[in-house]
Amino acid sequence: MDISANAVQAAAPGEDSAKLYRRLGELVRSLHEALSELGYDGHIEAAVSSLPDAKSGLSYISRLTGEAAEKVLNAVDRAKADQDALAQAARGLAAGCDARAVTGFASQVVQTCERTDGHLTDIMMAQDFHDLTGQVTRRLIETVQRLERDLVVLLVEAAPGPARPAADAEQLHGPVTDAERRVDVVENQKQVDDLLDSLGF
Amino acid sequence: MSDLKFLIVDDFSTMRRIIRNLLKEIGYTSADEAEDGVAALGKLKGGGFDFVVSDINMPNMNGFQLLQSIRADDSLKHLPVLMVTAESRKEDIVLAAQSGASGYIVKPFTKATLEEKLQKILQKIGKA
Repeated sequence: MDISANAVQAAAPGEDSAKLYRRLGELVRSLHEALSELGYDGHIEAAVSSLPDAKSGLSYISRLTGEAAEKVLNAVDRAKADQDALAQAARGLAAGCDARAVTGFASQVVQTCERTDGHLTDIMMAQDFHDLTGQVTRRLIETVQRLERDLVVLLVEAAPGPARPAADAEQLHGPVTDAERRVDVVENQKQVDDLLDSLGF
Repeated sequence: MSDLKFLIVDDFSTMRRIIRNLLKEIGYTSADEAEDGVAALGKLKGGGFDFVVSDINMPNMNGFQLLQSIRADDSLKHLPVLMVTAESRKEDIVLAAQSGASGYIVKPFTKATLEEKLQKILQKIGKA
């Protein structure tokens, strides 16, 4: 790229800034053409276009982990309240009881156990965030690795890099993190069932 | 009914554990696990399984390939295969159905949905 040397020589002190800006403009245009010729503008494009996906992936992870934490804390609150009520009733019995109080207490224990079991199931189900965020994290790591490769190629200015795999060569995409932008996906189990019904499955 | 043996296939151990616990709560206490299609096929060929619950997005051999392998094998093609997956593209759902999936549950799912789909499949094959 010879133009850089010429531009520097020609911009002697005292030349007005308009000419300087014009030379800078020429430099930028030549740089752009050189990148284009070597095929690097594709790398930049690919790097930039993978960013919206990466951003929505990170938002998704943040949302899911937050929701899971909330669900768990709510279930814990409810379970603790039930446990407290049961302990209170037991203290009352210990202080002095009759047959009816004992029977009443026994049935309260059973009900509380059933409710607590439900809360524990809720807490267990809330852990499903790990699977979903894990799939997105895996995809994000791949995106970041691709970005890194593309930027390294640009930095090193080596001979045209090895053939890059097509941006979305993988067929399986995992959880959808940007449903609002898409028409080719379903958003809940009811839509899955409706789709299959409509096709006779 | 409760001695049906399930194979749970998913590459995330958290999810395998959740499904295993749910099956137990629903009444099915006999279950084994595999982390991808290859491991699953190996276990299935050993015999003794009555039901497969499988993810789609897995390394080595994904759920679609596992489903197709099961349907192509004379000793396994009778097995009900319920997909439980985050894949929500319409073409994936249709492909699963066309490849012979017995049901399709999309993540995140509830205990009630799993129970409903399980019962529906078992009723169809007369093992409910």
